Amino acid sequence: MTQTVPGFGEPERVVVDCGRMAELFDIDFNLEYPYTRTTGPIIGPFLTGLRDGRILATKVGGRVICPPVEYDPDSGATVGPENLVEVGPGGEVTGWTWVAQPTSKHPFEHPFAFAQIKLDGADTTMLHAVDAGSEDAMSTGMRVVVRFSSDRQGTINDVYFVPGDELPAAPAVDDDAEPVMITEHLIGVRIREPLLPHRRRFVEGLQQGRIIGQRSPVDGKVHVPSRGYDATNRVPMTPDDDVEVADVGTVTSFTEIVPVQYHGQTETEPYIRCSVLLDGADSTVGGIDIRDIKIEDFRVGMRLQMVWRDGDRIGDLDNRGYGLNEEVYERWEPTGEPDVDPERLKEHNF
Amino acid sequence: MPQSQRHENDIAIVGFAQTDAHVRYDGPEVVLIMECVNALLADAGLERHDVDFTIAGSCDYLSGMPFAFVSNVDGMGAWPPVYESHVEMDGAWALFEAWLRLQMGDIDIAMVVGSGKSSPCNSREVFHLQADPYVVAPLGIDPDAMAGIAARSLIESHSATETEIAEVVARSYASATSNPHAQIRTSATVEELLAAPYDMAPLRAHDVSPKADGAAALLIARRDRARQITDTPVWITGLDHRIESHHAGLRDLTDSPSTRLAAAGSGVGDGAVDVAELHVTHAHEEIILRNALNLADSTSVNPSGGPLAGDPVMATGLVRVIEVARRIATGEAARGVAHASSGAALQQNLLCVMEGGA
Repeated sequence: MTQTVPGFGEPERVVVDCGRMAELFDIDFNLEYPYTRTTGPIIGPFLTGLRDGRILATKVGGRVICPPVEYDPDSGATVGPENLVEVGPGGEVTGWTWVAQPTSKHPFEHPFAFAQIKLDGADTTMLHAVDAGSEDAMSTGMRVVVRFSSDRQGTINDVYFVPGDELPAAPAVDDDAEPVMITEHLIGVRIREPLLPHRRRFVEGLQQGRIIGQRSPVDGKVHVPSRGYDATNRVPMTPDDDVEVADVGTVTSFTEIVPVQYHGQTETEPYIRCSVLLDGADSTVGGIDIRDIKIEDFRVGMRLQMVWRDGDRIGDLDNRGYGLNEEVYERWEPTGEPDVDPERLKEHNF
Repeated sequence: MPQSQRHENDIAIVGFAQTDAHVRYDGPEVVLIMECVNALLADAGLERHDVDFTIAGSCDYLSGMPFAFVSNVDGMGAWPPVYESHVEMDGAWALFEAWLRLQMGDIDIAMVVGSGKSSPCNSREVFHLQADPYVVAPLGIDPDAMAGIAARSLIESHSATETEIAEVVARSYASATSNPHAQIRTSATVEELLAAPYDMAPLRAHDVSPKADGAAALLIARRDRARQITDTPVWITGLDHRIESHHAGLRDLTDSPSTRLAAAGSGVGDGAVDVAELHVTHAHEEIILRNALNLADSTSVNPSGGPLAGDPVMATGLVRVIEVARRIATGEAARGVAHASSGAALQQNLLCVMEGGA
């Protein structure tokens, strides 16, 4: 059943000893997205106000709502900047919770309160942080007053609240500063997890100079690298399905990457990115970079030999990639064998 | 309801499956889904090619993998191709879309999946992002913090006591001892619970659902096909979901008006409710929801133990549907309601009313 190409027969079943890998590493990274958002006609003035030392609300249908809204919550009608009014700087706590163990996303690293604060002049509450020192200093109905952070960026975090009525010192304001038209929010989540079992055996194989795939127990097709399951037949795969394939294969498709310069781009010269069907495998390894074969000499059906990199080959391998990282190989060299007829690769060209 | 009164557009649940609520599942999320889907199809006696429409609910941020929902399709079976959809919400909202889709009448069977691997991250650092991105989310006010505020308001308005909140947890744990999928398998007395330290005061750590890795899946079918597949179809007689303002200052956190609206829309009160499975991720929410749903004392609430005994995030709402459906299919209950919630402090609520009979 397994389709092989010249140079390699049926892949051998293997047992990968992962004794070392078990404690080798856990994956630990931050997934981050820097969001920049336009602020619009109401939130813009509100955030500009926080930066410049005042708190704005919108007067809508007889209610003063803070934070301000761009629409009437009852009718949906547009609310324009002419409805902005100033509220605060003091207010009353109408609801609260004590954050004994702040997360990395909270405004303080020490315990504090999140509270609903009804600012003087407002009819609704605003959610914000109260730096109260201790839980005993908090109670429903207590008075709080705003404080302006020294480094204000035009975000909701430019201010916080403290117990009492003592007015804040007037913050230093740059009269020439532009209104806040854009607000920035870097979001991120820290991901920590072990390398999944099938990835652990794959990575351990690379360390040993072997490429480990998995043969479907249903249709016999060999997946390299495996995702731990056969998607076509909806069956999970186990260590019993592990096989070793060759470090020689056939180009099934390729493209030329001409680097576009953007923030973080390190590439400057055009290069080839290709997919290779390793001998003994039925799925291709994608995303392989070729930097020392000319584009005019490159073609589907070409036979390539992987040249292993010495030393640590793990690099950034995690649970998410499906290719062979550049840490694994130095380069791929033409073997000089006759090309494989592309007709034979049609089932594998992606 | 007599058989003849079922309309051809009526939709029934004809099969369901769920995984355990794993503290940490050391395999791909896809395999979690795959094992669940394979069990589902085997249970219903169907093949993958019998399914006309598949839809899943999940959250890419949880597993830290952009477009994780695309590879999750491998678990449902990408072959043969079908109408396929996804919601970045709990699987209960995927059920809503599938239920609407089948009423178009051109296809008969839909598969609905909810799944999540929340163990790789602190979900509080993800779900604060559901809040308003300008004036709330950058403060990091997460669902647990909002729940703490709501619980205090509930207590200070004399609508609940800390003891009553602890009683919710104690009863959930006791019920979970007979649920093979539950994550928490210990019991606790109210006194023991009240002796624990506060976390998001007045909440304690046990008042917050323990996040888990897990998947749930079910099959729904139009009337005629449903009757071919099973002798015990569970009819969805009402399904509605409503949402409240993202501006917390405009909400009453001690009540759930969106649940009241969804209850009216789905007809919860049109008959006796034998069983109610509620998406209670913070213990005091059960008190708010019982009140909003106007449940009778005779209604069995969260007999599975509910999310407080295991919360496979993004599958938890769909699990509520399954827990009710199973009790109706086995004859343990004649009619019930499943509740799912999304957003902080019960911001958005879905109700699914089900009953048995051929």
